[in-house]
Amino acid sequence: MERRNLLAGGGAAGFLFAAATGPASAQTPGLSTLDRIQRDKKVRITAEVDSPPFGIIGSDGQPDGSEIATARQLAKDLGAELEFVQVSATQRIPALLAGRADIAVSSLSITTDRAKTVAFCAPHGALSIVICGPKKTAIAGPADMAGKRIALTRATLEEATVPKAAPKGTELVFFDDIGPTIQALLSGQVDAAGMSAFAAKSVADRNPDAGIEVKFTVTTAYYGAAVRQADESLRHWIDTWVFVNTHNGVLAAIYEKYTGVKLPPLPTI
Amino acid sequence: MGYVFQFGVVWEHLPELLAGALLTLRLSVGAFVLGLLLAVLLTYARGYGSRAVRGPVVAYIEFMRNTPLLVQLFVLYFSLPAIGVRLGANQAALLGLALNFAAYGAEILRGGMQAVPVGQIEAANALGLRRWRVFRHVVLMPALRVAYPALASQFVLMMLGSSVVSAISATDLTAVTNTLQSTTFRGFEFYFVATGIYLAMALAARAGLDVAYRWLFPPLLRLRSA
Repeated sequence: MERRNLLAGGGAAGFLFAAATGPASAQTPGLSTLDRIQRDKKVRITAEVDSPPFGIIGSDGQPDGSEIATARQLAKDLGAELEFVQVSATQRIPALLAGRADIAVSSLSITTDRAKTVAFCAPHGALSIVICGPKKTAIAGPADMAGKRIALTRATLEEATVPKAAPKGTELVFFDDIGPTIQALLSGQVDAAGMSAFAAKSVADRNPDAGIEVKFTVTTAYYGAAVRQADESLRHWIDTWVFVNTHNGVLAAIYEKYTGVKLPPLPTI
Repeated sequence: MGYVFQFGVVWEHLPELLAGALLTLRLSVGAFVLGLLLAVLLTYARGYGSRAVRGPVVAYIEFMRNTPLLVQLFVLYFSLPAIGVRLGANQAALLGLALNFAAYGAEILRGGMQAVPVGQIEAANALGLRRWRVFRHVVLMPALRVAYPALASQFVLMMLGSSVVSAISATDLTAVTNTLQSTTFRGFEFYFVATGIYLAMALAARAGLDVAYRWLFPPLLRLRSA
């Protein structure tokens, strides 16, 4: 317990140090990321392209999906040229922290843990995490996962929520991307998998022979854009952008187009 | 960009990292032993087998050496359930690494065998030794002596390359690191420490293999200045 306090103290000291050195824009001191985006007319946004329906590679070879469309709209309204920084699920936050991207728009669910390292903007979408599997797998609720092998994808909301819901004796296996998770489900390496309701619908629709069905909903969460802790002005601009585009229906249109589901009412952060 | 390193969280999770490192080590050593045995069999089959045997052996070696290990692991892990075999990820990883190492090992051993003088083999044949004994004592052991440094090098390469087994959900050092960084969001810290652990394991493996070499293969003769 004492050690934990010491560590917490170290963490607080670290944040104070970060605050003292300020939003250290490496190139020009005092220039915020928002200022820099407007000066250079260029914004770098993460693109996760193996996470349908949020991000995929379209038939024309270009990134497509609801988060990709959101990023394009965001860049357009910033008046900046958009440069996609392609990331895997696990690299969404590291790419932002390493300065490779200015904004992460990759269906990052808003959690308090994540908010310790990045700053979240107001949510612009919602998703449910479900456990899905073939018909022969008998799971009706969390308790039935005991003794079953369940696939999850790292750095996702399902990784953060399913282990907490899983009873003792559940064998959880983790993959780096949703692709192998789906493959493990379809090949029978696992009895069931945790993923977003959209992903589950997409897997079921594309593989009718596998008889994949949703077993139960684990949780519903809201996702939003994330920026580095220091980029306060950029975060505030995006919050305003979400507010405006929630009211004019642009976000709802993007969400419906790609997920086939109506956008639920979005709370503010 | 003002990133503040916080290594405290890494030390909290050190036991998990070490468990991952131990699995990496076990997979590598296991694959080395299994793979080397298979490599010897492959080498024997290639050296003494009929044309019908040599063809598939060469095809196997070239296939394994010219396709990515990651793809081989995917095929092994995802296609075996279709024939009713459901291996755990760690077993599939061990099998995949061993099958892959066997191909490289066989190729390295072939190089070692070519260093064995033909006269030495002819002499053994002339003494009436059985074919397997000729292979074992007159060809294989001298070949192993010559090939040992390359095999040791290949072992270290495989140990470092074994990080790809995390892709099929095996719980090696890389998998543990990925899980920890994705749940704590301290990617830099965990990757730095994992890199340090890999470096330490690689250096220790090289040193250990070097000692083993001098123990297994003492110098045949010492050259003295005339």
